[in-house]
Amino acid sequence: MSWKIWSLKKSPWVFHVNTGACNNCDIEIVNLLTPKFDVERFGIKLVGSPRHADALLVTGVATAQAAPRLREVYRQTPKPCVVFCIGACACGKGIFTTGYHVVGPVDKIIREIDPNAIIAYVPGCPPKPEAMISGVVKALSAL
Amino acid sequence: MNQEELNNKLLAIKDKLIEIEQKADNRIFLLCEADNAYAANKFLFEDVPLRFVIATGIDSDDCFEVLYHYSYDETGCMITLKAFIRDRENPAIESIAPFLPGAEWIEREIHDILGIDFINHPDMRRLILADDWPEGVYPLRKELNGTMVTGWTGQTSSRPTAESPARRTIPLSKPVVAVGPFHPLQEEMEFFQLTVDGEVVTDIDMRISYNHRGIEKISESLQFDQVPFLVSRVCGICSASHPLAYVQAMEELAGVKPPERALYVRTIINELERIHSHILWAGLAGHFIGYDTVFMWAWKYREPVLDLLEEISGNRNQYGNVKVGGCREDVPDELKPKILKELDKIEKKMNMLVKAVIDDPVLHARLKGIGVLSRENAIKYAVTGPTARASGVAIDVRRDDPYAAYGDLDWNVITQPEGDVFAKVVVRLLEVLESIKIVREAVKKLPGGPITMEVKEIPPGEAVGHAEAPRGETFHYVRSDGGNRPVRHKVRAPSYVNVPSFKASCIGGRIADVTITLAAVDPCYSCTERLAVVDGHDKVIHDYEALLRLSRDKTARIKKEIGAPELKMEDL
Amino acid sequence: MSVPLNILFWIIVVPGTVVLGLVACWIVRKVSALVQWRVGPPLCQPLYDIMKLMGKEILVPQDAQRTVFMAAPLVGLTGVLLLSIMLWRITVTQTSFVGDIIVAIYLMVLPSLALILGSSASASPHAAVGTSREMKLVMGYELSLVLAFIVVIIKMGRLVGAGLVEPGLQLSLAEIAKQTPVFSISGMLAFLVALLCVQAKLGFVPFDMAEAETELGSGILMEYSGALLAVWKVMQAVMLVALPLFLVVVFLGGFGTTGWPLVWGIGKYVLIVVLLILIKNTNPRLRIDQAMKFFWFYCGITLVAAIILATIGNYYGIGWL
Repeated sequence: MSWKIWSLKKSPWVFHVNTGACNNCDIEIVNLLTPKFDVERFGIKLVGSPRHADALLVTGVATAQAAPRLREVYRQTPKPCVVFCIGACACGKGIFTTGYHVVGPVDKIIREIDPNAIIAYVPGCPPKPEAMISGVVKALSAL
Repeated sequence: MNQEELNNKLLAIKDKLIEIEQKADNRIFLLCEADNAYAANKFLFEDVPLRFVIATGIDSDDCFEVLYHYSYDETGCMITLKAFIRDRENPAIESIAPFLPGAEWIEREIHDILGIDFINHPDMRRLILADDWPEGVYPLRKELNGTMVTGWTGQTSSRPTAESPARRTIPLSKPVVAVGPFHPLQEEMEFFQLTVDGEVVTDIDMRISYNHRGIEKISESLQFDQVPFLVSRVCGICSASHPLAYVQAMEELAGVKPPERALYVRTIINELERIHSHILWAGLAGHFIGYDTVFMWAWKYREPVLDLLEEISGNRNQYGNVKVGGCREDVPDELKPKILKELDKIEKKMNMLVKAVIDDPVLHARLKGIGVLSRENAIKYAVTGPTARASGVAIDVRRDDPYAAYGDLDWNVITQPEGDVFAKVVVRLLEVLESIKIVREAVKKLPGGPITMEVKEIPPGEAVGHAEAPRGETFHYVRSDGGNRPVRHKVRAPSYVNVPSFKASCIGGRIADVTITLAAVDPCYSCTERLAVVDGHDKVIHDYEALLRLSRDKTARIKKEIGAPELKMEDL
Repeated sequence: MSVPLNILFWIIVVPGTVVLGLVACWIVRKVSALVQWRVGPPLCQPLYDIMKLMGKEILVPQDAQRTVFMAAPLVGLTGVLLLSIMLWRITVTQTSFVGDIIVAIYLMVLPSLALILGSSASASPHAAVGTSREMKLVMGYELSLVLAFIVVIIKMGRLVGAGLVEPGLQLSLAEIAKQTPVFSISGMLAFLVALLCVQAKLGFVPFDMAEAETELGSGILMEYSGALLAVWKVMQAVMLVALPLFLVVVFLGGFGTTGWPLVWGIGKYVLIVVLLILIKNTNPRLRIDQAMKFFWFYCGITLVAAIILATIGNYYGIGWL
């Protein structure tokens, strides 16, 4: 495996994107920084700008208002990058499938602008922080 | 005024009403024509006076209805004024926003989703639908049932156009605080828009739509017992209160009373949620004013509560525990000693935190007098929960209209008169201690028996239900026509009325206090992240990080002036 | 110095400084984590971060000034590397040229200047916020820093007057390194001011208004990505070596190369880094006008007092003033 991918695995910086979620997943993501889970041990850092990110943690169903912003954020993230769909809403709209304001799910929005995007799915409602860590680790090992 | 006096007082507007329905002792429905609604509303809000809860728009077969829900907190009476709009071609009704600012948003929303025109509304822009949602398509009208909105796939551009229905034109000479929905990169002025004059905030506007998923419409396509799973995902951290409010409405509609044990289990779960929600908030508030260690500490001590909830319900955050007629999961008796033990630990830590906070001179100087929401404004904006209680408005659904087991337990409503951010901090921290008391008592008094009962039929009718979420009152209105699904389900989260009160508490304040003032209202956390200050020429003067910095710098400056040591976290 | 050692020096000085810088970065992060009841990152984490960034694509904003945007990080890194090379050379060979302290001061300004240029070239209104703050901050501490060094140079004047040092050589870092001004009142005052100026230059709390290095913000470096961001990060790491080393050389009596002086030297460097971390972890952030007031007023007064004391000490030949 190339050194690029190897170092990406050692230092994945994540940017959190909320495209219309109930906040459970978002709170669990912030939980990852706290002493019980402490993801800085793995080199994971929550960054404030998509330009610094290697992975996007996307939560929410991608509502009509949020979808274009999601596209912008994806464009501004330097490749290679991984998009993580966190939670049932991001993986497949979840319980909001019939919502009139929902244009997602997230992978559909991303693939509209980049058919070759690397997308990983962490289902759950919300996924436990351990599940998120496990999902991130598995996705990175599969790169 | 007791209930009888209230009933008599309502007779004063009898001539304006078609009918007065007394569904129960504390559930009254007043029916009137649309033309009389304005006068009736004015009477109810100003003369009785009642607290405005929310309004519901309904598309009935032959007319439109606008329901104005009020609450009389002293007796826990919910009064609904039902106004009939007979003209289906051009539905219109006079707006009550001029004397009731708390109704501004809901009237805009009803206009968005039903197309009802509100005459004399000060600001009829789009609120919850996306910028390029097609005009004239009103999602909650029944004619759209069974069809999807075709040919529309969402915005193609990320920047709203100048003609976007939600944009407010701000004169370019005035500096404006702008917000992007995500972190720094978005420069568009949406979401929060504060106009500033130097350091002082002079106006605020908000754009919401990012989280709008159309839950009320989805609810109409689900069966009654599927709806709790939907509404618990309205907001992740009030996820126990929404299904509870809905289920209580349904139980009133069906005329059933769940078994005692179920009421106690509901109480335990709701209070545990309140505990971890307030502790979460304490952490965030600490982060905003510069005490990062408080953030880590608070979220560390939240974890045992989440573990307890997981042991009871199977999930740390979405419990899925209430159903019409009772609960799904029981609190096993073996778990009781563990719950009590964890509560003791948390209580000890919280006591230390409360004492440290109340005594800390830096926090006094930093938070007292900041973001003041006066009692008068608290009533006009119809705020609820700790936001209201910190302004001296002593309302709490658990005491005013007792539900679950709150009537049997011994606890206090915490209020503070000042209405500033410090008061809100104190209210929330003390409420955690009260919640610990409640859970402890509920666990000890947990009665035996079944936790659920079968409910076979939901008769036609309508009912309201409300519960006290950590952020305030959640309110649900359900109408049934005897079938399997709701005809109309209105969901009102507490933040819907609390966040617009930002208009009253932030104006006149300084930029450095913007983040903490908003955080003090405790909206869902994704709302608070996106603030920026621009001058009139689209140039950002301060972004969110800078505002955060300003907030924390001010704390540091105050610390220096006072010469006080830092909040000692090691002792905690 | 013998030829092979000389060659060895030139081979290892730049990579060695970079590695040392990355280790220093790690120490800062690890200590912060421990203070927050967390475990923190592994030792090689800063290195992984740099390697990862080198492998990412570079996105340049459409409206940005391309040349300046891309050149700024290199300028900053070059400046701080040159400073490190100079300082290491002085400690290793114990010789330097007259006036090198002035060159060192100039080189020290380069990283801050580069940050300002780079972020202004970003065409981002959000980075612009950080830029204006950084500029104000630089205007605040640069003068104080230079004055602090001047206090030391003045004190050297006493030695020149006493004939212990060749005239003119008081502007030579090698000579300065042989003295320990911190054991005098004016020297201690100047050292404290210089320490806080270095804190600001490194962008540490309480002076990190331009770039918040917490997980929630990136301020002036917001628009940078990929290899350019990696260069910025390396620059910041090397600053963690160069600046404390500069302080050691000027105030604390230099860095030896063998035996006890070497151990003392390492101890002095570690002391300064520890002080920087301590100040960082026990203070919340300052507002920009507060920082300005701090540097111009409080530091200014302190330095004026130090200069007066140093001059009096010179005149009367009193070393400890």
